Amino acid sequence: MTPVRRDPRKDRQRVRRRAPTAAAEVAVTIIDDPACLIFAVPDLPDGKLSSHDCDMLGAARILADALSGAVAVVAIAGEDDFAAAGADQLVEVRGGAFMGYRPEARATVVIEAIAQFSPRHVLFPDIATDGGHVGRLVAARLGERAAGNVQRIEGTDIERRGGGGTLDYVVAAPRVLLIAAEAAEPVSGARFEAKVIGSTSAQGDQRLADGGLQAIDPNAVPLAEADFIVAGGSGVSDWEAFHRVAAALGATEGASRVVCDSGVMARDRQVGASGTLVDPRCYLAFGISGATQHLQGIQRCQRVVAVNTDLHAAMVKRADLSIIADAQAVMPALADLMEGKRRGD
Amino acid sequence: MAIDVAVLLSAGRHPVSGRGRRAPGDARALKLALELLSEPRAVHAGDPATPSLRDYLGMGLDAVTVLDLPPEADPVPALIRHLETTPPDLVLAGCRAETGEDSGMVPYIIAEALGFAMVPGIVEIISIDDGAVRLLQALPRGQRRAITAPLPLVATVDMAAPAPRQNTFAIARRGRIHRVAAEAVSDSERAGWQTSPARQRPRRLGASISGLSAAERLSALTEAPAGAGQQLIGPTPDDAAQAIYYYLIEQRILPPPTGKEESP
Repeated sequence: MTPVRRDPRKDRQRVRRRAPTAAAEVAVTIIDDPACLIFAVPDLPDGKLSSHDCDMLGAARILADALSGAVAVVAIAGEDDFAAAGADQLVEVRGGAFMGYRPEARATVVIEAIAQFSPRHVLFPDIATDGGHVGRLVAARLGERAAGNVQRIEGTDIERRGGGGTLDYVVAAPRVLLIAAEAAEPVSGARFEAKVIGSTSAQGDQRLADGGLQAIDPNAVPLAEADFIVAGGSGVSDWEAFHRVAAALGATEGASRVVCDSGVMARDRQVGASGTLVDPRCYLAFGISGATQHLQGIQRCQRVVAVNTDLHAAMVKRADLSIIADAQAVMPALADLMEGKRRGD
Repeated sequence: MAIDVAVLLSAGRHPVSGRGRRAPGDARALKLALELLSEPRAVHAGDPATPSLRDYLGMGLDAVTVLDLPPEADPVPALIRHLETTPPDLVLAGCRAETGEDSGMVPYIIAEALGFAMVPGIVEIISIDDGAVRLLQALPRGQRRAITAPLPLVATVDMAAPAPRQNTFAIARRGRIHRVAAEAVSDSERAGWQTSPARQRPRRLGASISGLSAAERLSALTEAPAGAGQQLIGPTPDDAAQAIYYYLIEQRILPPPTGKEESP
């Protein structure tokens, strides 16, 4: 008798899913009669779902699937594509409570929505000054024991970090959950309904007054935390203009390895695999061709603008907006433009 | 204006060695309080014999009030009862404890029970006048927001606040610990939780890459994602500057221009 030999690679191939590129048109998943509701309250900085918001919606989906419930997003309607992010339903917020910095009013609106729809769980992204603040206010007002810093969700159990980051607690999910970044994979390759099930126009009390964001020295911010980076590479020779344009844009300065090796910029400014892996909202690259290691460093950047003389540079391929021109000419022009706008011409 | 400030101090624990120490967030809160007035009320709920309380006293504090509780008791009811008797104007604390559940909820529950406003993650108290405080709050990405909050107020102090004062041995020895009897409410729910040492989870490298083949996963990690690919070939410097400027405005990277001008 010949023994049956199995090729493990073949087995794996059988369960392999199709690549997402193949599924451009995704069918909408409709959950008709959900057993319960899972509320997800995204922060929506700049009116768009942040990656943390998407992770939180992924976590909400895990809970909803385990409870055969539906995910309901509480947000201003139409701010972003909630259907693609995993929302079955939408509780529309009308009025100004979700605009600007109004955490107490937000908490009141969420409590109102909870009273109206009685969801099984309410999820917030755990950012201490944003979703984590609103979520904790909601939990304190409802007298719920919130789970903060939730790291993982499995079925209806959660793993949350405690003890100053040294312990993991595994508990049944409480009502209010504050989800850490990357606690769950965001929804991809699927589409849900995002049907409006109701609206709330509660006006909450707001005791804290927003005094606005303060001007900070962008170069005092560590590169890994920077929000907007202007980086220079070997295509830059006019460093005075480079510093001027960075200052005019209020951006943190970065540089490629070549520039840091030559001593023009400090080592802590180096972007790339051997420097800092950055994730700003925008990365403006002057004279950087885009070596693989550099592109790895900017992999998480949301938007890339490249100014380069070479149309076929890898950086140009990566960029959302590329300007094929000499950096030495563009930098002073941009600095002049910005300084002019600031003066109010 | 004389202001009554209470600081909530917890027993810290070094995350690596496990040794008792002052909790870094609470120590920063105490530093802010000591800059406002020389005699803030310092309150700890727990064991009066905790050695790390001396670390707080060594920062220039005369006395700490300790609500004597067994280690498994819930500190919040005792703290609320203590603060209710003579409500302070301002309660300061660190953002999170280094021991226990570490959910960051204690200041919120206290603020709710006392009816105070709550501000998380402050780094500086700019001014206090007329029953209102101007605060500076630390946001992610090194940003700072100014907030005006009414008194009475609970505020938690971010780790980005100035480093706490050094601990002076002689002052720490001289400091007094007032033991106050407190009613212990045991935390029965937490006793049933399953606990394990924290497991470091790997940071996500690229976008969601589960479910693809090994070759596809590798290329997703090593190849740069293609951008939207809008290109301007050989523009004049001014056109290039305009294009970048409007792109940054459109993507809300720069604040929108004030009034008068319109985008192309």
